[in-house]
Amino acid sequence: MEAQKVDMFLMSNGKFFESHQMNTVRERLIALDDSKWAMISTIQFKDPTTSLIVSILAGSLGIDRFIIGDSGLGIGKLLTCGGFGIWTIVDWFLISKATREKNMQSLQQFLY
Amino acid sequence: MALSRNNLYSILLAASVAGYIWLYYCITSNLSENKTVEVCLIKHATNLPCPSCGSTRSIISITKGNFIEALDLNPIGYVIALIMLIAPVWIIVDLISRNNALFLFFQKIETFIKKPKYAIPLILLVIINWIWNIRKGL
Repeated sequence: MEAQKVDMFLMSNGKFFESHQMNTVRERLIALDDSKWAMISTIQFKDPTTSLIVSILAGSLGIDRFIIGDSGLGIGKLLTCGGFGIWTIVDWFLISKATREKNMQSLQQFLY
Repeated sequence: MALSRNNLYSILLAASVAGYIWLYYCITSNLSENKTVEVCLIKHATNLPCPSCGSTRSIISITKGNFIEALDLNPIGYVIALIMLIAPVWIIVDLISRNNALFLFFQKIETFIKKPKYAIPLILLVIINWIWNIRKGL
């Protein structure tokens, strides 16, 4: 793909990924076939800020984990009152990273 | 899937061990003081019980054989008791036989409950349980 397109994609979607993944994503996107651009530009990514807000407000019910697609862990959180309150607090700090990793996974389906 | 087999197993094992320690602590301190320490963030913040409040008391009732009292306190206690009984055994069997049956089962359940026709009734059940908990004033 053209470098210009790839840079445009990275500029508008940069906040959805970890900073150390950006270089790989850029190289992969440049090597990718042009026909996949339509698919890649329409992927819906999850916002780490949203999941952080949800985690602070409703983390004890595990809704943050349900939102990013970790239903199993979400049930675990829901059943144990947010992991006795400890897991809730731990997730306030981990949920942004987990969201970015989930985004990377949904992009990876198209990259490889 | 982000969660690898070993990650899932260590999380589950740690959770069950923590659960057993918590249960032991509650049962032993319950005999002397007749009062358990409340850890629920929601209950501390809003003074209202959360959907799974009372599950410790429910499990304690199950261990004493009062099954109806346990159901009356919080039905989620039965779910947690089942997971706590089955998960460690299954994990150990899997680790010994170098299998990943529990991991596959977990993934199957995860895709299963993401479907709206199963998710919506389950969410409704949790909400009904929550309303019941608030009315009981746990």
